[in-house]
Amino acid sequence: MAAVLFGLAAEFDTPERLVQAVERAREAGYTKLEAFSPFPLKQAADGLGERALPLFVIAAGAALVGASIQYGAQFYLNAVDYPLNVGGRPLHSWPAFIPATLIVAILWAGVATLLTFLFRAGLPRLHHPVFAVPGFERASEDRFFLVIEHGDPQFEPQRCAAFLESLGPSTVREVPAS
Amino acid sequence: MSSQAQAFTTPLAEAPLNSRFGLAWRLALLASLLLVGLLVLTLGASIFWGVGLWGVNIPFVWGFDLINYAWWVGVANGASLFAAILVLRQHDLRTAVNRFAEAIALFGVICAGLFPIVHLGRPWLFYWVFPYPATYHVWPQFRSTLTWDFWAISTHVILTSLLWYIGLIPDLATLRDRARRPRVQKFYGFFALGWRNSVRHWVHHQAAHRLVAILILPLILIMQSTVAFEFASTLIPAWHDTRLPLHFVATGLVQGLAAVLLVAWLLRWGLRLEPFIDDRDVDLLSWLVLASALVTGFLYLDEAAAALLAEPMQTTAFLNRVFGDYAAFYWMAVLCCVLAPQILWWKRARRSVLLGVILGLSVSAGVWLDRFSIIVGGFQRDYLPSMWRSYSPTWTEAGLLVGTIGLFAALLLLFARTLPAVSMFESRHDEHEDRA
Amino acid sequence: MNDSPPFSSGSAPSAPRRLWRSLEELQDAPDLQAWLDAEFPNIARAGSMDRRSWLRLVGASLALAGLPACSGEGAVGDPPLLSPPEHLPGHVPGTPLFVATSLELAGLGRGVLVKTQEGRPFKIEGNPLHPASLGATDVWAQAEVLSLYDPDRSRTPLQQGAERTWEDAERLLATMRTELAFGRGKGWRFLLPQTASPTLDRLVAAMRQGFPEARWHRPAPLAPSGAQAGAISAFGRAVDLVPDLTQADLVLTLGGDIFLFEPGHIRLAADWQARRRNREKPLPRLVAVESTPSLAGARADQRIPLRPRLVEGFAHALWAGLAQNAVPAEAHPAVATLLAELRRAGPRAVVLAGREQPAAVHALALAINAHLGAFGTTVHAIEPVVAPTPPEEDLPALAEAITAGEVSGLVILGANPAYDAPADLDFGRLVRRVPLSVHLGFGRDETAAASTWHLPKCHPLESFGDLRAFDGIVGFRQPACVRLVPSLSPEELLANLLGQAPDGRELLAATWAEQWGADFDIRFTRALEDGVVEGSAAPRIPVALRPDWSPAPRPPLPPAELDILFSLDPSLWDGSYANNAWLQELPKPLTKQVWGNAALIAPETAAARGLSTGDLIEVIAGERRVAAPVWLLPGHAPDTVTLPLGYGRESAGAVGWRVGFDAYLLRTAADPWITSGTLTPLGSQVELISTQHHHALPGHAVFRIVSADRPDAGGPPAKLPSLYPEWRYEGHAWGMSIDLDACIGCNACVIACQAENNVMVVGPEEVARGREMHWLRIDRYHGGAPENPDTFFQPVLCMHCEKAPCEVVCPVNATVHSAEGLNDMVYNRCVGTRTCSNNCPYKVRRFNFFDYSSAELAPPDDALNPHVTIRERGVMEKCTYCIQRIWTARTQANVENRPIRDGEIVTACQQACPTQAFRFGDVNDENSAVSRLKREPRDYAMLGELNTQPRTTYLARIAPTGENGG
Repeated sequence: MAAVLFGLAAEFDTPERLVQAVERAREAGYTKLEAFSPFPLKQAADGLGERALPLFVIAAGAALVGASIQYGAQFYLNAVDYPLNVGGRPLHSWPAFIPATLIVAILWAGVATLLTFLFRAGLPRLHHPVFAVPGFERASEDRFFLVIEHGDPQFEPQRCAAFLESLGPSTVREVPAS
Repeated sequence: MSSQAQAFTTPLAEAPLNSRFGLAWRLALLASLLLVGLLVLTLGASIFWGVGLWGVNIPFVWGFDLINYAWWVGVANGASLFAAILVLRQHDLRTAVNRFAEAIALFGVICAGLFPIVHLGRPWLFYWVFPYPATYHVWPQFRSTLTWDFWAISTHVILTSLLWYIGLIPDLATLRDRARRPRVQKFYGFFALGWRNSVRHWVHHQAAHRLVAILILPLILIMQSTVAFEFASTLIPAWHDTRLPLHFVATGLVQGLAAVLLVAWLLRWGLRLEPFIDDRDVDLLSWLVLASALVTGFLYLDEAAAALLAEPMQTTAFLNRVFGDYAAFYWMAVLCCVLAPQILWWKRARRSVLLGVILGLSVSAGVWLDRFSIIVGGFQRDYLPSMWRSYSPTWTEAGLLVGTIGLFAALLLLFARTLPAVSMFESRHDEHEDRA
Repeated sequence: MNDSPPFSSGSAPSAPRRLWRSLEELQDAPDLQAWLDAEFPNIARAGSMDRRSWLRLVGASLALAGLPACSGEGAVGDPPLLSPPEHLPGHVPGTPLFVATSLELAGLGRGVLVKTQEGRPFKIEGNPLHPASLGATDVWAQAEVLSLYDPDRSRTPLQQGAERTWEDAERLLATMRTELAFGRGKGWRFLLPQTASPTLDRLVAAMRQGFPEARWHRPAPLAPSGAQAGAISAFGRAVDLVPDLTQADLVLTLGGDIFLFEPGHIRLAADWQARRRNREKPLPRLVAVESTPSLAGARADQRIPLRPRLVEGFAHALWAGLAQNAVPAEAHPAVATLLAELRRAGPRAVVLAGREQPAAVHALALAINAHLGAFGTTVHAIEPVVAPTPPEEDLPALAEAITAGEVSGLVILGANPAYDAPADLDFGRLVRRVPLSVHLGFGRDETAAASTWHLPKCHPLESFGDLRAFDGIVGFRQPACVRLVPSLSPEELLANLLGQAPDGRELLAATWAEQWGADFDIRFTRALEDGVVEGSAAPRIPVALRPDWSPAPRPPLPPAELDILFSLDPSLWDGSYANNAWLQELPKPLTKQVWGNAALIAPETAAARGLSTGDLIEVIAGERRVAAPVWLLPGHAPDTVTLPLGYGRESAGAVGWRVGFDAYLLRTAADPWITSGTLTPLGSQVELISTQHHHALPGHAVFRIVSADRPDAGGPPAKLPSLYPEWRYEGHAWGMSIDLDACIGCNACVIACQAENNVMVVGPEEVARGREMHWLRIDRYHGGAPENPDTFFQPVLCMHCEKAPCEVVCPVNATVHSAEGLNDMVYNRCVGTRTCSNNCPYKVRRFNFFDYSSAELAPPDDALNPHVTIRERGVMEKCTYCIQRIWTARTQANVENRPIRDGEIVTACQQACPTQAFRFGDVNDENSAVSRLKREPRDYAMLGELNTQPRTTYLARIAPTGENGG
């Protein structure tokens, strides 16, 4: 049975309960926890110990790469690869190369941000076991879920279910693996 | 409280998921689609026969094409600037207007993007401004403001859609979960990317959303300036001026805010979203419009002062813009962008749907007239009097303008019906924080 | 050309096969037919040929028939020296050949060189050896090449408007011959405009002799009718004047336009400028007394606007002042000072009366010249180049005869009286009353429509002949290509009627064989090569004022509200060029009007009548009236209206049909040039199309004027500080200098540029929108009072700036600098953002808003210069400094393994300019002509303050000198 189980899901109807539940679960030593909330829930996230990556640094890095590529290309293509006398201007007209460089830097930063987000969140992933939990769709509405996955060293269905019940959820359900 | 939460998100989700669209909506969509048809017609004709169908000539090589471009870019930039600032300041108002501020930005930039392509003598070769290994290995000429603009407009399209889409993902998930018909479910499900409201996801989602919002700020400043550079960097006396970018940014701001105000009123009235776009929100918007209108007014004064202190050619050119053949456009612009909004000092004006709509329209029109006065009025007085001529637009050009407005309206209507016009997760969040 | 029937191989004995020198004939040649079927099966049967196949065919036919282009079997005599013949070693096929020939204007010849390639003329230049050209041309000579390929030219004989074959025409000519022979010409009338052609004169004489009963009419609708009468009254004999302006310190013109309309106008302009350039002598003075602003007036040091009726009084006052030292009290204020000048200049002064002036004025002018002793120094008298027309040979006589029913047959050779004959004769109607009228014409014009028979006349570039220039020198006319259309020259038609072999070359040879006798061959060949017959200048004849001469008593003028003056048109001449799109779209020098004409009046006169430009008026003279739009022309004489001739053609062709209004409708036999009448506003408006709307001279020094004694243009120094490092131009650095003191605004350069560079015609609607394509425009500015303003002409073309603003803003590198500093335009790279035009302060860039090169107004492919690209829709174009000519010269120099010589490269505008206002060359070469000019203190850069460092700079105009001078 355990084999066909992805984990156990407890459904709460207020964010506060979920936050408490997360706290208690951590104290109880559960590690493979997942919480679901219809809106950002900072305390819960802290409880789970999830930190945002230094997105800004990543974006800045990407921007730097993009900028140097853009500037480099402008310089190489106009001054080295195919030098042309354009209006008697210097081949390396650096002031004129800057605006596009800035813009492209921003472009790279933006795209990098999106990709990092998707990568870190493991999206896109159109299917996930928790979707099978009846009533889970209200996680995008007004319900709050705590899931203990079977991969957790302490996971043992009966004990785990009992523990979840002790958190005062509205329901506790099994999350079938699939 | 659960029921309360329900109460909040239901009407928002209702709009997209309701299969029985209102008659008014259908009529509006029909009307705007007719205009889109006109757009297709005029675009087709211009590409098939050539830009000779427009009123352009030498020296008036640009007409409505660039006017509309600068105008739409202004709409887009003003709206995104506004949206981004709201996201960053975590302002309550953001919940209400962010989503369609971003939508306006996106659709505006789409309309704008048409013109740089169709205004070409040989539009089918527009991609030559992109550095790809072409025959004879010729590359673009990166000193040209037009290449800057190519990068700017494409970046703008991408980034605006990013900001918009990242904000949409959780709401798409909500729609997926609430959708009854499987096809609709699949549709939203696909674009929701499998979002499952994991608390962990939320962390990264919020960070990303914020960061993109931050990136929007410098982008639109550069974008708007680049549009201005296309004029300011030429020798034409009326344009050759370092203050032009500032002028474009400021007028773009009032234009964008006015557009947001307009749409806010329309949505609030059309979709009955009073609880989300409450009086405080529209009040705040009105104040913002008023403030930026004052800034614009100041810039007009600054422009006059600068021109009168500049060298003779520039002074002549400016005076010709203000008192010459095209003076009417200049003064209408002043009236619409600067004077009309002053009515917002008056409380009842800030509360009236009608006035809000009228103001939104008048400011938008005003900025368009301002662009006309700058571009066409600027062409008229060049260095050699032998080439002083005049320009009269043709129906084709008018068709392009009206057509893009139709496209913009059509996109907005579809948006209002297929996507939550107000961010649902943000509303839930607010409501949660209000209780907390 | 294929729609015309193939020809019977010389059915009529009098029309031997060689008469029909045409492709059709050659196509019929069995060997060619076979060859064609083998080589170009599609072409042999093609309904209408495209250019390439046409070229191939010409080439093939010539090759097969053993004709090198423009040489061989009678096409031209021995090949002109100016161009090595095809079959000689050293000639590279694909390089142009030059053919020296003469073109006619008002019966007089201008020598030209026709540039042909593969037997296809595509450009016309002046003939340096010809006295009426000196290497320069005018707009009409330039435009002939387009007329040659006119799609509307007559292609088949017509009978009552129905197309007939040449066999039918042959039969007609045969019957005519028999009829003429039978009645010794009784009842026959021949109408042949006056032309100074010895061969034609010989043939006419032969006809008169052969058919003594036939009557001849030699009208000269444009002849200076007053001149001969004036000469007879003053000298007792008819003479023509040949001015030598290089000797003149003072030139006084009474009407006319010595730079545009008078006989020898190109030469007069050249001489005048040569005299101005002559540093040894003080600057000459040009004083223009005129009613209609002319180019001479625009360039004059002093200009005196006068109503036509007052000119005679003015001249009379001068004469009285000189001869009797008694200036009439009521004389014009300017007379006194002018007298002083005339006295001072003495024999180095010359007075020239315009062709429109009455006999009295001409007589006075001659008398003054004689009194000053000008004859022999500044002006010479010669036998009339065009014999005066006796009254019984003029048109009215013919009209009477037709009305009296004495005319059974009428032959009209090349004239178009139904359009340009005096209106009171109503000639079109008369022609219709003649039982048999045969018209030989280039186009199916008004007269063709009125005649019973019409025969296609060949183009001057297709036939042999000879023409005297204004000074009597004979130039030969010879074909530059095979006939594009089976057609006849007037000479050949006359020969046909005389029963002689109608072979142009034989006819020409016969004329000169008589004179040259033994050394005929050498001289004939020589004349064909040079284009001029050396030593054929008319001898100067001594003239003396008749002792008993006194100015004709001046009857008190009848009061008239309005003087009406008919003038030639600076674009269409007399209307014979109405179907030439280049000329229709040519901005007139002073009004810059295109695609139409207008009644010119003075602004103050218009103000008095509440008229403004574009208002429709009706001009009434006697019982005749014509409706015309008015044009307010500053400097026009008050209470006078000038009606330019040449427009309102009813059947000119697709281009010229009903453009403008027809001023001939007011022109009577009695007073062909000046009459009086009234005008009434019609209250309606029409849009007149013009390329320049603002007249006032700009404040900043775009056009600079310096004084003769301190010729310093001032302005910014050559090198302003710049943020950009200098580009070094190794080798050549092309540049141009334009002398504003030389430019007379004659437009020759504009058309030359158009012809050389395949500049497209866009049509009235497009020009009205401001989309004309001329690479070279002449800006016209006025200064001073509108009653009598100063007028300034400034040719503007691409300045080829070293810091070219246009290039920096182009996103796709479509306009960049060449290694020699040319501002290149890369058509196939252009995407058409038009932003380069934005950034061009001179606005010399032109854009193909539509696909002009395949619009119906585009010239036929054959007329295009094969060395210049055709621009497609959506691309920018502009002056290239005639880059194709630069490369031709470079290739030549490389072949001969030598550097390019200074002056070896001549741009089209420079080559056409009568006054040598343009100089092109290498500015890196210290000693090149252009470098020397650029070192002159008069040199300045237009808008130099923008520091775009233009390669084209201007030499400031020199202000008028002496009395009333600046």
